Amino acid sequence: MIEIQEVTKRYDRHTYALKGITASLRERVTTVIGRNGAGKTTLIRILSTQLFPTKGTATIEGLDILKETKKVREIISSIPQESQLIGILSPLEQMQLYLMARGFTASQAKEESKHALDELELYDYRNAPSDTLSGGMKRKVFVAMALAAKAPVIFLDEPTTGLDPLSRIEVWSAIKRLSSKIILTTHYMEEAQELSNEVVVIDQGNIITHGAIGNLLSSFGGKMRAEKMDGEEYDIKIANVAIKYIEKERVDEFIAKGYDIKRINLDDIFLSKGVMLES
Amino acid sequence: MNPKFILYFAWYYGFYIILRGPSYLVASLSLPLTLLFMVTIFTHGTLIAYAIAGGPIAIVAANSINGAADAAFFRIQIRIQDLFVATRITSQDYMFALSLSYLVFSLPGIALYAVLGAYFKVFMLSSALQIIAVLVLLTLTISNLSFIIAGLLKHIRNVWGITAILSIIMTVLPPTFYPYTFLPQGVIYILSISPVTPAAVLIQGIVGLEPFQVSMIFILLIETVILTFLGRKFIRWRE
Repeated sequence: MIEIQEVTKRYDRHTYALKGITASLRERVTTVIGRNGAGKTTLIRILSTQLFPTKGTATIEGLDILKETKKVREIISSIPQESQLIGILSPLEQMQLYLMARGFTASQAKEESKHALDELELYDYRNAPSDTLSGGMKRKVFVAMALAAKAPVIFLDEPTTGLDPLSRIEVWSAIKRLSSKIILTTHYMEEAQELSNEVVVIDQGNIITHGAIGNLLSSFGGKMRAEKMDGEEYDIKIANVAIKYIEKERVDEFIAKGYDIKRINLDDIFLSKGVMLES
Repeated sequence: MNPKFILYFAWYYGFYIILRGPSYLVASLSLPLTLLFMVTIFTHGTLIAYAIAGGPIAIVAANSINGAADAAFFRIQIRIQDLFVATRITSQDYMFALSLSYLVFSLPGIALYAVLGAYFKVFMLSSALQIIAVLVLLTLTISNLSFIIAGLLKHIRNVWGITAILSIIMTVLPPTFYPYTFLPQGVIYILSISPVTPAAVLIQGIVGLEPFQVSMIFILLIETVILTFLGRKFIRWRE
């Protein structure tokens, strides 16, 4: 379990990345979602012991990230959002180095790396210099690192950004097979719904909602989303799109008015909280 | 300490650059070999021994100072440092691994100068250990200086310019390619602000070209300790 207690990150007098957030992340897979600059990466970096919080702390499996940093680092694996491979080294070499840094022997690291690369369809590229790989392949190598690390707690900061649909499914499949606790950030609502049991929605450094996906969706009370360009009736208007949450009984009425009807999903949690996701 | 990680990292990052990016190796050798050529021509060969003795120092110093670009690139641009922070290795392991990789990358250049030194009877086998010790200390000192520079940078764009300037200043101004006795003792102490100066003075003393100055051992050691301490502070391991 991860307990976040009043975590604040201030970069300068007026710039807060996180504003005293508190949460208990209990489920096996938790997704942190939010717009660019919402504070997702800052939260992941603080939990991964890469960044000091200005105030507050957190515990990971009972270990304090500030007081027991060394022990925390033994049980986590964290893949930063912007990490890129060292172009001159091959995926296998870089994975081996990463796993050795995590305490694997050289031979264990090599075997586990090969296995994880194979799982993500990268085995044939294991010895190629990384600067010859496509952007998606490079991103998958980092996911392979996290898989091979077999850490009890894994942080994945936007693991599928830049991947084609097939590669995303491969990554999702690999993540689902893991037994570790996983905290991931994403822009993709379908990814959050596909992979996680709970979501934390962050906006401007605050948690605006947090809970099991089913509970969050049920807060709409079975309503549907009706949307229409330049529609006159709306609860939310984004650009020219009017969005109205309606009871099922009113579906026909809104179809007749030219609205498209959609099922409620995680997008609506964003929309209803006044947050619009860029993707 | 995680010696296996350090050795593997140094080997992979130091050796595979030589194999897969030989142009970097040629670039690192071009300045000392050009200066060797010019010193030989302009002094009609009388100072060739000094240029040969200074070659390995120039190579090690330039490669280590260029490490600032690597360290900054790994921290700011490709975030490899962040990847390693959340593991069992310490900042010292990471810094030592990078420093050692610069030494590995310098090995072909050092070997070339060893051959030249043996041919021109500048280096003797009996002084090899002392020379290696000076080169290792110099690598550690300048690498830590490069970690300090990298840690001070907020953006990657200036790092290549800064390292290029420092590389020239630190290898050409000190008595790397000429006798340190050409300079007044006071100037030598001023130039000792660059660790290359005590290293060059020591090497000239070790190979018997000039009198050996014991004080330079202490200066180099003190600089190594201070810069190692500061390097750990500035690496920004956990920001």
